[in-house]
Amino acid sequence: MQIDFQARELTVKLVYYGPALSGKTTNLQAIHKLVTPDTAGRLMTLETRDDRTLFFDLLPLTFSSGSGIQVRFKLFTVPGQVIHNATRRLVLQGADGTAFIADSQVAETRANQQAFLNMQENLRENGLDPTSHPLVIQFNKRDLPGIRTDEEIDRLAERGSEPVFKAVAIRGVGVIETFLGLTDLTWRALEEKHSLHEKFGLDPDEFLRDVRVRLGIEGRAAE
Amino acid sequence: MNESRPAPAPALDIALGDITRLDEVVDREALRDVCRSFFELFGLSARVFSSEGTLLADAHEEPAIHAYLRTLPRGRQLLDQSVDAVVRAHPEKRTQLSELTGAVYDVVPLVYQGRRVGRFVLGPYLPAELKEVPRALLKSDPGIDKEKVRTALASMPRVREATAEKIVAHMNGIIDLLLFSSHRAHLTSEMHVASVRESYRELAEKTAKLQAAYERLKELDRLKSNFLATVSHELRTPLTSIIGYSEMLESGIAGDLGAEQKEFVETIHAKGDQLLALITSLLDLSKLEQGAMKVEAEPVEPRAIVEDIAKTFTPAAHKKGIEVVVEVEEGLPRVMGDPIRIKQVLSNLAENAVKFTPQGGTVRFGAKAAELDDGASGLGAVLMAAPRRAIAFTVRDSGIGMPREELPRIFDAFYQVDGSSTREHGGTGLGLSIVKRLVDAHEGSIEVESFVGEGTRFVVTLPSVEGE
Ligand SMILES: Nc1nc2c(ncn2[C@@H]2O[C@H](COP(=O)(O)OP(=O)(O)OP(=O)(O)O)[C@@H](O)[C@H]2O)c(=O)[nH]1
Ligand SMILES: [Mg+2]
Repeated sequence: MQIDFQARELTVKLVYYGPALSGKTTNLQAIHKLVTPDTAGRLMTLETRDDRTLFFDLLPLTFSSGSGIQVRFKLFTVPGQVIHNATRRLVLQGADGTAFIADSQVAETRANQQAFLNMQENLRENGLDPTSHPLVIQFNKRDLPGIRTDEEIDRLAERGSEPVFKAVAIRGVGVIETFLGLTDLTWRALEEKHSLHEKFGLDPDEFLRDVRVRLGIEGRAAE
Repeated sequence: MNESRPAPAPALDIALGDITRLDEVVDREALRDVCRSFFELFGLSARVFSSEGTLLADAHEEPAIHAYLRTLPRGRQLLDQSVDAVVRAHPEKRTQLSELTGAVYDVVPLVYQGRRVGRFVLGPYLPAELKEVPRALLKSDPGIDKEKVRTALASMPRVREATAEKIVAHMNGIIDLLLFSSHRAHLTSEMHVASVRESYRELAEKTAKLQAAYERLKELDRLKSNFLATVSHELRTPLTSIIGYSEMLESGIAGDLGAEQKEFVETIHAKGDQLLALITSLLDLSKLEQGAMKVEAEPVEPRAIVEDIAKTFTPAAHKKGIEVVVEVEEGLPRVMGDPIRIKQVLSNLAENAVKFTPQGGTVRFGAKAAELDDGASGLGAVLMAAPRRAIAFTVRDSGIGMPREELPRIFDAFYQVDGSSTREHGGTGLGLSIVKRLVDAHEGSIEVESFVGEGTRFVVTLPSVEGE
């Protein structure tokens, strides 16, 4: 997190990690489409080849809180292809939270595992502790045949401590929930570390409720 | 997590992908074109500043009223004050600042990815809603000419507020798009460099690790060779005594021996000799591996060497009913090497040839002109490979031969094609590995060709004396 006291501005970095073609870029595209332009800036895509990310995608989200603090979220995707490891490690630098986007197809099980190990290694290389780093897992492509079953995922999810979400990113299903889950975890970890409530008068519960309202989740629930 | 920004602020924060210095990231040429097009389209002066106050782009023309006011001492002072106020303004949202003439400037912050990075200024223009010439202007200087003021003001652009709002929004949108593409181009090139650097770092790290592992292995190898040399010496000393004393017993120095006693002592002597030969070979091998064995280099006559070897082995061959043939090309240049070591190599091969050839067979010794190739291949091989003139010594037998798949390993220490052959035929299993190392020490090569039941051919190629 970058804290600029003078400008009363906080910048939080969130990274979408995962194996090649799991739908990281699609997640950002869906968020960009679902969130209003006063919150989401332009989606920036740096270099692609055949729709595969070469460097990263970047989506900026800005929330101004009641206490006059500007909170900027910067959402990054990494390139999933194995060969781009150096770039992946660079993009992961200074991440405050990570969403691991897994491909639900049974055939992709091994690719998911390898990407997950790789993420842990790169977190460590960047001086981040994988055991305490805010992390959520998304099982994407729930619309496809040959996927791991809900029952299996639910059962296995109980064994881990990280929140697990299911999504169909191309249809925008589960994408906002994943983002909010990640924001929640990340913000609470940052609060713990930087005492944002005390320093900036940013009540975490209030702030997270604001974010949910801005993303239309709270409103939807009330309907 | 970085709480404070580093002291010499880079134009871009690559970890967050943020612009930190607009003046270094934005494409000024394009920004200037945007300002010029607004000036041409609406007659409005346009200027863009970074948040540090740097003027990034500018398209303007001095209004006639300004030119006139500047001719008056008091008018000039008041005008400068109002222009100054415009330049210093850093509003949080669009703000209109008016000057002495009643004209206004639109000052608009540039907000990019949730952050104020600069501002642009449009104007001065006269709000279309303004009907009267401001009294303050007419009273600004005692010597002011009202007619001149009216004429000058008539040429000032007039804009309705609703239109001004649209123009501002339009300019804002265009600059935002420009910032976006400049930002993306900048990030892309930074990522190119950073990725290459990161890949290089990763590679260098891996290479260093491999190098360390390699050094460790080399050290282990050296220790092993040292150990071997020490052990060989320690073994040789008592063995020399055993052989010496059994020799003395045999010769009757310590009194006459019975037939059975003599036979026992002879066996002790023979086995002692065999053990000594094995230890000597081991010692040679370890010396060669450490590069400690000296190889003299002097011109050596190939014919003399081949004939010498043939002469040495002919009696043993004839005893087994084997024919010996010598084939040496005429007019060969001399070989560059150590005559004793070359003889050791050929003797070893000759000994095997005789050993593994059955009765009625033939062993051939030969020497002919050849070339040594250092085996360089791939990129630029035509430049990299440097063939040298050489002599090929051949030792060929019509013996039992060796299976093809064994051939690559026969030069390894202690390797025997068939474990039983050492016992059956004697030998230590070290001969060929020593031969190989001796040939290497001469910068030569050794090759083998063999067919089971047909025989074996060894070719030892050694460099010849340059220019002969
Ligand atoms: N059926 C289905 N396809 C999806 C879903 N999400 C993404 N895809 C498709 O999967 C492919 C890859 O998606 P991307 O978002 O480009 O994948 P990525 O993880 O960014 O891949 P890299 O950039 O190579 O790391 C695209 O063709 C998407 O349309 C989904 O929920 N269901
Ligand atoms: Mg992608």
